[in-house]
Amino acid sequence: MVRRGGWPAALFLAAALLVKPVQDRVDASRGGPKIDPDLLYFSSPPVLKALALGYDSLLADIYWMRAIQYYGRRDEAARRPVRYKNLAAMLDIVTTLDPRMLDVYRAGSIFLAEPDPIGAGQPDAAMKLLDKGISLHPEEWRLRFDKGLAYFIYFKDPVRAARIWFEASRLASSPPWMEGLAARAFSEGGEIATAKDLYRRQFEGSDRREVRENARDHLASIQVDEDIWALEFFVEKYVRSHGKPPAGLLDLIRAGLVRAVPLDPSGVAYAYDPATGKVRLSPESKVHYLALPYDYREAYRKQLARAYGE
Amino acid sequence: MRVLAIARNTFRENIRDKVLYNLILFALLMILSSFVLGQLTLGYEDKVIVDIGLSAISMIGTLIAIFIGIGLVYKEIERRTVYALLAKPVHRWEFILGKYLGLAFTLLVNVTIMTAGLSLALAYHGGLGLQSYLRLLPAVYLIFLSLALTTAVALVFSSFSTPALSALFTFFLWVIGHFNEDLLQFARLTKSAVAGIAFKVLYYVLPNLAAFTSIDSRNVIQSATYYEPIPAAAVVWASVYALLYCGLLLAAAAAIFSGRDFK
Repeated sequence: MVRRGGWPAALFLAAALLVKPVQDRVDASRGGPKIDPDLLYFSSPPVLKALALGYDSLLADIYWMRAIQYYGRRDEAARRPVRYKNLAAMLDIVTTLDPRMLDVYRAGSIFLAEPDPIGAGQPDAAMKLLDKGISLHPEEWRLRFDKGLAYFIYFKDPVRAARIWFEASRLASSPPWMEGLAARAFSEGGEIATAKDLYRRQFEGSDRREVRENARDHLASIQVDEDIWALEFFVEKYVRSHGKPPAGLLDLIRAGLVRAVPLDPSGVAYAYDPATGKVRLSPESKVHYLALPYDYREAYRKQLARAYGE
Repeated sequence: MRVLAIARNTFRENIRDKVLYNLILFALLMILSSFVLGQLTLGYEDKVIVDIGLSAISMIGTLIAIFIGIGLVYKEIERRTVYALLAKPVHRWEFILGKYLGLAFTLLVNVTIMTAGLSLALAYHGGLGLQSYLRLLPAVYLIFLSLALTTAVALVFSSFSTPALSALFTFFLWVIGHFNEDLLQFARLTKSAVAGIAFKVLYYVLPNLAAFTSIDSRNVIQSATYYEPIPAAAVVWASVYALLYCGLLLAAAAAIFSGRDFK
């Protein structure tokens, strides 16, 4: 005698065991299941926001976690035809569902801008994401900082980066070092006059000692560079007219080439080597010299040559 | 008093029906979000807990409001217990109001316990200061209002339709209630004056659930997440709207129920 309920249980078990082989046969007859390794069901953020039915915030978290997994799972990314095709769309969805997730703009722009294979290699999409963040949070300095950084690193455009950092430095929330960063990027981009203006403004206007000291050191370093280049320019001029280098820098005054020999910003005379004709900062100097990222020596020499009729 | 007696019985019945078992699911969700989901996200661990907690309070509450609400009256008729009740000196409107208040109280208890659970999860996650718990209250209150309104909708359908159809109608109205503002948009876009008026009438007639999910075009759950205060005036007006609309629906349910012949 079979126990009551025994037959249905046996039938259930048999049917359950058959499901997989039958499904596989069905798939085979249809040419295999169509698995898209990079499927995004909703690509329109506003539509998804409307369908969220008030659960926008939760859905934003889910899409953010999905975007992190999408970006972070390298093995899976390698199997996709395009590694990070949907990354920008996912981040757009997250920031439409919850526009206040600042880290999504910030981290997301790095995911997008980093070159392949680390990132999506889509710096333009990164800029679009940051611009969206900036338009929604115009007072947030960090987004402008990231945008400047993207121009600096991924577009190799220090002047554009400097302009954006300068904009950021004007915001009330901006940290005091932002103007200095802009100045440094301007100097790296060759816009020394702008860099000097910014450092001067920081030196005169900042109420933070470390910011003033940083600006002072940068201004002094620019001054040292320009003094040395000018003195070496006149030493070369002296060599051309006298056939030998001057014995000391005061010879330049005697020869009528300069009216005075400058001291460095700490008030110490520059060291001069008559054998090589090279001028450098004296070991006694109190200047805290910082090498500038952009060497504009040649441009400066040309400027001097124009001014002194060469 | 008779209303309260019916409400008390409805609440007891809900407890007997193990409605509060949903709290186990909620507890599991909270534990999961506190321990596991924090590992999956990049930053925003606190936000994820608040989002999951408040969304779960709303979703579970809505399911209870719909699936218990649709049986409130129908079940009494089906079991014929309504005959025994109406033979007593009880007005039909008292029966409807009592049933409604019983389920509303069940939801209130449920929402309160879930909010306490969410607060515990936040405390475990290092929630510091009273403010990190107080910020939840306006959102929880608005969620409760939307649940009260959904219950009233379900009760209206329950007073004349079968549970399956009532569930379907209530669910549709709940979805439509979130898209209500689109009706105004349609009214603005249409060239037909009649259609424009029809859309406007529908806008006012259909329940506006978006009034409880978004205030000042900001999502209330997000406001709780980011410690943004919800304007008190907006909360007061949402309460007035909920009271008025629930009153209307209960009156409609009472009228329908009063007109039914139980001989």
